[in-house]
Amino acid sequence: MLTFLALTSVAFLGIVPEQSQAIAIYTGWERHALVGSDIRLSCSFFSWRWTSEDVTFSWTYRPDGSRDSISIFHYTGGAAYVDNKGPFRDRLEFVGNPGRRDGSILLKNLELNDNGTFTCDAKNPPDIVGRPSSVRLLVFEKVPIQAGVITGAIIGVVLGLLVLIVVIYYLMRFLVARRVFSLSVSKHGKKKKEGSQQRQLWTPPPLTCYPLP
Amino acid sequence: MLILLAAIFVLHIACIIILLTATIDNAWWVISAGNMPTDIWARWVFVNNSWHSIDLPSTYPESYLQAVQASSVLACIFSIIGIFVFVAQLFTLPKGQRFLVSGVFQFLACLCIMIAASIYTDRFHTNEQSLGSYGHCFILAWIAFALTFLSSIIYFVLRKKTAE
Repeated sequence: MLTFLALTSVAFLGIVPEQSQAIAIYTGWERHALVGSDIRLSCSFFSWRWTSEDVTFSWTYRPDGSRDSISIFHYTGGAAYVDNKGPFRDRLEFVGNPGRRDGSILLKNLELNDNGTFTCDAKNPPDIVGRPSSVRLLVFEKVPIQAGVITGAIIGVVLGLLVLIVVIYYLMRFLVARRVFSLSVSKHGKKKKEGSQQRQLWTPPPLTCYPLP
Repeated sequence: MLILLAAIFVLHIACIIILLTATIDNAWWVISAGNMPTDIWARWVFVNNSWHSIDLPSTYPESYLQAVQASSVLACIFSIIGIFVFVAQLFTLPKGQRFLVSGVFQFLACLCIMIAASIYTDRFHTNEQSLGSYGHCFILAWIAFALTFLSSIIYFVLRKKTAE
């Protein structure tokens, strides 16, 4: 029994590292921005290995409606190479920290033509098997209101006010009732005290009978 | 007395049903070309021998649309709370008192549906009078305004009598 357990645990230890050697890359899913603004596209990865010196990041861009991707950024051998010929020349900046597994880029002065999909691919030798991750960029002229935000806000505020009013009403009733109760108790107590003192000085009035009419 | 009570109850239920229909059924406006009902949540188009619901066009003034949605939903909520409050007040109200809280809820419902219908009348389809006509939900919304107003007045006037 014990040997069986030992063999299975060794087998697991043997299997798991092989599967976990795939590198996992994380970017956002979708980013919204206004025309003329800057946006930071983040990219980081998870790897079982230590961050090697030969770590590489590369970003490619595919415009909306096009099938071709163009490479716009590459980081390798400790140096970052930004786009100097393509659609993002002079607008791209590397703001990541490869030592901390961060390969983020900054796009400046966005235009409406920048709508598209940005794909980040990171490699951490010897951990090179992995899927690149994509983030979709949507550039707007004015910020659209998300469906249902205002609706939900109005309904929430009104119902919240209603609940608040009901709670305050019952609280006031409870407090007023308590005050009245405590006042009446103290009055009753005072009366009792005075009554007991007076009984020593008070003599019952003489009984008088009135003749019946 | 029991008949009056039943009539008031039925009126309130009718208000709720009309409010729910006006809010949920997407037919505040009907586009003549294709007889397509639309608003306030989605639009119906008849494609390939079947009806499909599609999003409202982005040319709609978004904030006004969401205000109409919110106030019609609030009207339904207030009216439904009102019916439960009315039933509760039937059993707990001291004799001779008025059904004030139920009346307040119905009045709030009246206010909300009036806000919704007014915003819709003023801000939507103002230049499209030849391209379509108002649908049944729009008409029901205004009818609901009248009925909830009537119902709230009745609640404000009614007094709880003995032998309920």
